[in-house]
Amino acid sequence: MHETVERVAQQTTAPPRRGWLWPGLAVALAALLALVPQFVKRDDVLNLCFMVFLYISLGQSWNMLAGFAGQTSLGHAALFGIGALTTRMLWTNGEPFALALLLGGLAATIFALIIGVPTFRLRGAYFTIGTLAMAEALRITVSQTMPLVSTLPTDQIVGYNLATRYYVALALALATVGTAALLLRSRLSLGMLAVREDEEAAQATGVNPLKHKLIAFTISSFFAGLAGGVFAFQQVSYYPEAAFSPSWTFDALLISFVGGLGTLGGPVIGALFYILVREELAVTLVNFHQIIFGILFIIVVLVFPGGLVEAWARLRKARWLPWRGR
Amino acid sequence: MSYETIAQNLVFGLFVGSMYGVAAVGLALVFGVLKVLNVAHGELLMIGGYVTFWLYTLLGIDPFLSLLISIPALFLFGLALDRVIFRHVVRLAGETKIKNSLLVSFGLTLILQNAVIQLFSADERGVQMSYSGAGLNLFGVALPYTRMLIMVIALVAILSLHIFLQRTYTGKAIRATAEDWEAAALAGISIQRIYLLTFGLGAALAGMAGTLVSVSYGVAPGIGLAWTLKALVVIVLAGTGSILGAFPVGLLLGAAEALSGTFIGPAYREVVGLVLFLLVLLLRPQGLFARA
Amino acid sequence: MLEVRDLVVAYGDLRVLWDVSLDVHAGEIVVLIGPNGAGKTTLLRTIAGLQRPLSGDITLEHAPIHRISMHQIVERGLILVPEGRRLFGGMSVLENLELGAFTARARQKRHQTLDRVFDLFPLLAERSGQRAATLSGGQQQMVAIGRALMGLPRLLMLDEPSFGLAPLVVRQIFAVVRDISREGVTVLLVEQNARLALDLADRAYIVEQGRIVGQGAGTELLANQHVRHAYLGYAPQTGEVTRIRD
Repeated sequence: MHETVERVAQQTTAPPRRGWLWPGLAVALAALLALVPQFVKRDDVLNLCFMVFLYISLGQSWNMLAGFAGQTSLGHAALFGIGALTTRMLWTNGEPFALALLLGGLAATIFALIIGVPTFRLRGAYFTIGTLAMAEALRITVSQTMPLVSTLPTDQIVGYNLATRYYVALALALATVGTAALLLRSRLSLGMLAVREDEEAAQATGVNPLKHKLIAFTISSFFAGLAGGVFAFQQVSYYPEAAFSPSWTFDALLISFVGGLGTLGGPVIGALFYILVREELAVTLVNFHQIIFGILFIIVVLVFPGGLVEAWARLRKARWLPWRGR
Repeated sequence: MSYETIAQNLVFGLFVGSMYGVAAVGLALVFGVLKVLNVAHGELLMIGGYVTFWLYTLLGIDPFLSLLISIPALFLFGLALDRVIFRHVVRLAGETKIKNSLLVSFGLTLILQNAVIQLFSADERGVQMSYSGAGLNLFGVALPYTRMLIMVIALVAILSLHIFLQRTYTGKAIRATAEDWEAAALAGISIQRIYLLTFGLGAALAGMAGTLVSVSYGVAPGIGLAWTLKALVVIVLAGTGSILGAFPVGLLLGAAEALSGTFIGPAYREVVGLVLFLLVLLLRPQGLFARA
Repeated sequence: MLEVRDLVVAYGDLRVLWDVSLDVHAGEIVVLIGPNGAGKTTLLRTIAGLQRPLSGDITLEHAPIHRISMHQIVERGLILVPEGRRLFGGMSVLENLELGAFTARARQKRHQTLDRVFDLFPLLAERSGQRAATLSGGQQQMVAIGRALMGLPRLLMLDEPSFGLAPLVVRQIFAVVRDISREGVTVLLVEQNARLALDLADRAYIVEQGRIVGQGAGTELLANQHVRHAYLGYAPQTGEVTRIRD
């Protein structure tokens, strides 16, 4: 009993001593990944990596709102789509891509700020369905008003550099995860956690729920918009409606939950797992990966809320630590 | 624009509204009694449509007759889903229950939708019978037999449900459980059985709507989300407390969509419902027709 | 008839009942008195199956009931009239009563039982078609008791039947409870109104802060100093001991 208490104390105080380990590893990993295109020239591999990085950003951005702040939004595709649309339009009109991307992210953020205040008046399931309805309404409007497809001008197609796309996606993934890490270390995250667990109790202790929700929403939307912009950058033939498809929202949900909602590494593991399984199965059974992930998702929601991250943690600490319930 | 065009569009709006209504009542039943939000409701509808399609294509069974098979089949499927999945969600409390049921049923949509794609491909399927084009013509408005049958069947179904809930013992037990499950349990009502039965009924109504949809619109694996949203819109407009009230509201939605399509433009028909939905959510969450 | 042994109940991490034990013998009227928040309602709810105990047993006629489903408990004849009436407001008086006879055993005899209920509560017969939500508090309490009776209880539990009711109505309700007991139904009653309850009771338990702190015959407790001061409104005299346990 005494020994168990000691071990628990050790576990909870251990991380600060290893404070430089994870960032150090991350930098090393980033450097390694940055070197990949120098040695690997195969398009399919680079495309795969691109997808993983994109999905990491997609999932992590959603995780910041749903995982850290507990607001399960089903409107993520709207922000992704706005970022994609803005970036594509500006970029194909001659603006430098970096600027177009940034403005895409900002467009999504502004949209979020505008709809944020009224939307957050809704609670729980109403909020979730409301965001879904909003995103769908936007998608239908876009599909009716925007041209069906935009193709890159020929010189751009010829000069299409996959490595550039790779680096942009990698940079975004690093930025998104890095921001999430900083957010977790900030005081804001405590407020968000309080709002996530019990909004009324949080308010009673002086935490302003709306402020924390909006901040999470803003950051989440910014990176969702950037992710959309990166997606638009990668597409040769770009279909505006596709970027607003609810599957972007659902994919973000899947990888965050299965990976581990509310954790830093969850969306990363989830995205990796998802893309790899998808690629593996895509040859034989086109959409089977969705069925697998659907089942995994249900299992996570019902039985194993911590997802893969928790499974990994449990495996490492298996025998002696008593499991403390949520 | 002639009066005939307006009337024509309106009538067709009512026809589709009756399907909205049936789908919505099914979802409202589950939500009202189990307090669970099943966003895979649209997928159940879709499966009902496929059952009809295959019965027609493989065995030549008339789609309206196939209701005798699709309804019980989806009822049984609903029982299975409750037993395997939703039973674990109903034990939770209030908000967590709704949120988790939403998530779980979302996972279910992925499974169902993609299973159908695997089995039957993503192609759209429709059912065309020999009498599909025929109909009456009243005052310049075309009234196809198929659409009229759909409306009649929908009305009969809703009326039957009403009688079941109001006059049978089990129906009253369902209403009692919806109102106060603890009191119902204390009175000796087996809540587990009521939930099981109700979920099956909700699925059966979805399946029925699916059959009707396959005759009028055609089915494809991806139609689930759109129909779930429609049902949700209707439920919120009608007020989450009313179950059968969802049917007339479904008709209203169909009519509203038709009218806005006629006057604003066909492109924005779908958006009208969603915008209305959001407005009601923000301004009057208890619904347009809920009692104060 | 009913035996509760070392019952421990908690809501999450908050422990509400501590090793509670009590007996109810067939044909008795047993009463639980005690202050608000003492855990009396929790105890009844746990016996009825709404709450699962952390540990301890509950047996009805020597068969354990603390792990079986609620409708099975009702089938075995243990029925709770919950705190606050909890009627199905949107349904009529008659429908509320009928729903009390859901179990097979009760459903068979429901017509006779209904007649009995209307004998006990003639007022309800007049208003059988009225929506339950529109009844007065006293009438609702009658419907609640009637609904429980429709289930043919062998042991009837009542949680604060006098709550919010006028004194005259309370007397009526208690008279009905006495009648029910005379017909052979065992009664376990939780009451705030200690005097009326102890008058009615054969035996009583005192529940304070989740524990049984005393028990005895109704008349005994009426005379007990602690009970008189804590629950019957008597002022302490100098030199008097006011604790029930040393």
